[in-house]
Amino acid sequence: MAKASPLSEQERADLVAYLDGELTGEAARALEAKLSLDPAARAEADALRRTWELLDFLPQPQPSLRFTHHTLQRLAPLQADEQRRRQRWCIRCLGLGWVAALLFSAWVGYVGYNWLVPREPGERELLQDLRIIENKRLYDHIEDLDFWRALDAPDLFGEETSNS
Amino acid sequence: MLRVRDDDAGAFEELVELYQQRLVALMHHLVGNAEEAEDLAQEVFLRVYRSRKQYRPRSKFSTWLFTIANNLALNALRSRQRKPMLSLPAQDSGPLGPRPAEQLVRDRGSGPMRRLERQELAERIRQALEGLNERQRMAVVLNKFEDMNYAEIAEVMGLTTKAVKSLLSRARENLRAALSSYIYMDGERVPEGSD
Repeated sequence: MAKASPLSEQERADLVAYLDGELTGEAARALEAKLSLDPAARAEADALRRTWELLDFLPQPQPSLRFTHHTLQRLAPLQADEQRRRQRWCIRCLGLGWVAALLFSAWVGYVGYNWLVPREPGERELLQDLRIIENKRLYDHIEDLDFWRALDAPDLFGEETSNS
Repeated sequence: MLRVRDDDAGAFEELVELYQQRLVALMHHLVGNAEEAEDLAQEVFLRVYRSRKQYRPRSKFSTWLFTIANNLALNALRSRQRKPMLSLPAQDSGPLGPRPAEQLVRDRGSGPMRRLERQELAERIRQALEGLNERQRMAVVLNKFEDMNYAEIAEVMGLTTKAVKSLLSRARENLRAALSSYIYMDGERVPEGSD
């Protein structure tokens, strides 16, 4: 039966780290000092080191000769599945491409039609321009905008214009 | 691995050839069964293949590989704990009945390395290793057999280096307790202050 360790948990953790070459600086120096002064700590370090060395007695397991072959065999269905998924993805992309092309063609057709074939004015537009339409006969005599603006001058038609 | 990521035909096979020994050995030390170790190692390679597109060469490939192995092995060991398997060590059966560790220890004085077969000693060590909890076992195997430092083990196991230090300290203390009978053999003098 093993006796209680002469080291605290922290000290043992430091000791193991020291044995593993992971303890440096002040902590390493403090531990070295303790080891040089304390035979129990030294014995513990020795036991831990030897325990670690015992693990070398474990055989180094080797993979079977067919390991690679078996691994690649197990890989085959995975690759086939990937291939199927890639094909499905391609088909989906193709379908989406067709839908996109169809929608684009429809849009181009709509825009082109509206551009080439001017549409009849709607009721709202007719109402908006009603006053102009009603006076079209008069407006037809106006040759340009400057003349039309000049008609608005108060001194041209006097009282009559301002009252109208 | 970059060639595997880029779907280079044959690169995966090369990768398997290159790492199979280390991976099978790691798994064997963890699960203690050759067949299961190979099965798990193959599963690791398949996972590597499945996640090859996510691979970014930020750290060593082996660290990435062993991270996958760590996750898989810990899951396997945990599910095994839930469904315990009955194992009958060959040397514990037979007409003379079980041969306890004490019997082996008694043989020590007259040169146990001659009597105690290397295989038997290995079996005791394997049992001691199996006595550790799965995380301690993983840390020990990575440190001892993969020669990984604490920082690398921490990365593989998703722990801090401080946690790894503590894990390895407890693991070594447990191993020391389990193997105390085998530490000083062949008539070696036990140092003053020792158990």
